[in-house]
Amino acid sequence: MLASILASGLAVGAVYALIGVTYNTMFSTSRVMSFTAGQLGMLGGVFGSLFLVRLGFPVIPALIATLACCAVVGVVTEILAVRPVLKSLDQHLYVLSTLALALMLQQLTAIEWSTEPQPFPKIFGIGSGVFDEKFWLPIVACAATLIGLEFLYRRTLIGHAFVAIAEDNFAARALGLPERNLRMASYALAAAIGGLAGFAGGQLLLAFVANGPLLNFYGFVPVALGGLGNNRGAVVGGFALGLFQQAANFLVGGIFSSVAVFVMFIIVLLAAPQGLFGSSSARRV
Amino acid sequence: MRITRREFTKGTAAAAGAAAFGLASPAIAQSGPIRIGWLAALTGASSAPAIGFDRGVKFATDTINAAGGIKGRKIEIITRDTQGDPTKAVNATQEMISQLKVDAVWGPTNSGESLAITPIMARAKMPNVHPCVIDSLIDPAKFPNAFRIAPSNTQWDDAVRSYTLKILKAKKVAVIGDTTGYGVAALNASVAGLKKDGAEVVYQANIDATQPDMTPDMLRAKNAGAEAIVVWSTSTGMDARLFNTRAHMGWDVAFVGHPSMSSGEIGALIEKPTNWEKVYAVGYRSCSYDAGGKLPPHSEEFVAKLKGKIELKDTLLWWVAGGYDAVTLVAKAFQEGAGSHEDIIKYWNGVKNYPGYFGEYTFSPTEHNGYPGKDVVMSDASTAKDGTFRLAPGYA
Repeated sequence: MLASILASGLAVGAVYALIGVTYNTMFSTSRVMSFTAGQLGMLGGVFGSLFLVRLGFPVIPALIATLACCAVVGVVTEILAVRPVLKSLDQHLYVLSTLALALMLQQLTAIEWSTEPQPFPKIFGIGSGVFDEKFWLPIVACAATLIGLEFLYRRTLIGHAFVAIAEDNFAARALGLPERNLRMASYALAAAIGGLAGFAGGQLLLAFVANGPLLNFYGFVPVALGGLGNNRGAVVGGFALGLFQQAANFLVGGIFSSVAVFVMFIIVLLAAPQGLFGSSSARRV
Repeated sequence: MRITRREFTKGTAAAAGAAAFGLASPAIAQSGPIRIGWLAALTGASSAPAIGFDRGVKFATDTINAAGGIKGRKIEIITRDTQGDPTKAVNATQEMISQLKVDAVWGPTNSGESLAITPIMARAKMPNVHPCVIDSLIDPAKFPNAFRIAPSNTQWDDAVRSYTLKILKAKKVAVIGDTTGYGVAALNASVAGLKKDGAEVVYQANIDATQPDMTPDMLRAKNAGAEAIVVWSTSTGMDARLFNTRAHMGWDVAFVGHPSMSSGEIGALIEKPTNWEKVYAVGYRSCSYDAGGKLPPHSEEFVAKLKGKIELKDTLLWWVAGGYDAVTLVAKAFQEGAGSHEDIIKYWNGVKNYPGYFGEYTFSPTEHNGYPGKDVVMSDASTAKDGTFRLAPGYA
């Protein structure tokens, strides 16, 4: 039982963590919580299944095509749902605009793809039992993403530009950074990370339109637990959520496991409102 | 034309008088085509059943019209695509009642839409025949115009319980449903029925259909000593995960339950074809073939009629047969002299052992569930062949 909890919990946790990173990456350059993050995870599975199963692409081209398609969705999100409401961030209109776009993406997928889960094939065919590929692949994808992002933010010029925009938007613009293009690039990057979550977790979650709301919801929890904008916190929060959820599935089962997860979530937020790894911000008075 | 005040007063008085004497009640044209409204979710999320029913509707219409119609009157089907949306179904129903003035309505084909339109149809006294399973849709006192030609949820439950207890001879049963309203209600009804019949329900759970790993629930069911698992879910993904998990656990417990377990989509979701064995889903005797691959003679006759005209590979025979039967039930009412909505309802109330291709229907003024419960049987879920299934083992 312990092995099952660990294998399944860490795998699902890795997917949640990647969706949390998607939220954070979008947030960093726009100060917007885009509720399309979960839908991008769903689309990663759907595009993956489309390219691998229906169109018969080899794995690498299928992965590239999936990430590219998700990146396009990310750019569209920035243009349609984020940019028009940036001027009135304090009114939180982005909640409505990004939720509306998320709903449209879900409906479109249901109509054009299927409302029933579709198969997602084995990619490498390595491992069985608790070491099955469907369990370790999301974890590997999560680790690779985190390392890649650290490298991007610390060692590359465009990464420094992202950080500059995230730190102080006005100052970065005053220095001549192309804020709009960088924001679009960060949305494309975030969407590709969301797509990777769906692709790597495809064998576990299947290519299923109902995964969108699920990932939107559970992907947000690591962000809140780990602290907004903190990718390492999101990863720790994601794994903790996955493990706790799976343990609750075994111990209390069924719908009660969701109750257990959100009781834990509320308790953590009561104890640390800024998240476990977030720092409380000073407010000028 | 100029209308004088005197003419207007006369006309108003005449209209009021006609209404007082009942002359304003819906009358059916005695010439011209017989108009049947068809509320079909032909596109959208749950379109597969309606597409199958539609093939039967068209086949019945073409057959009747090619033979000269009913007393010289052709059948005209007026279809409205509701897309599975109750709001669209309500709008289409209003249109059929108020503007199109159809003679009877067939459909809709899912319970969500039917819940929305059934009271509207009842107010208009519109003869309505449908295949939706929710029990409350049929109530001759509240909805004297509504007739069901498919099994109710209770009949499904009876068949599942009977197979589990009498044929599989399971005494300890686990019951699993999804977390939808349907899954919760069906699970509760199933558990109550099993307990009433003396079974021990050793485990029951509602599981979110998107839950990626079914091991926890399957493990608990196994540890509780379940000898059969009854499943009430429309989610093929959840079904396939349950079957795959059973295989990983090396357990050979039988699954019995909802028809979705025999959906063709499961074939692509299971890891090995053997994972789909010992799975028995609700089916119908008229659409089940025996060990020799033969359907009942009446069904063989229907399939022979359809051959080369209607595709069965991508649909279910009962959908096609149900659509066919619905049209012929309306047509038969006119054949027997129906001239108004009331006449059609009166005729249907007297139908006894009507030999449809999906089932042999019997209605009465107090019973509008026309499908015979004895013909609801279990199918061997993985044996689909041209829209039919092999009868599950154990039936005579």
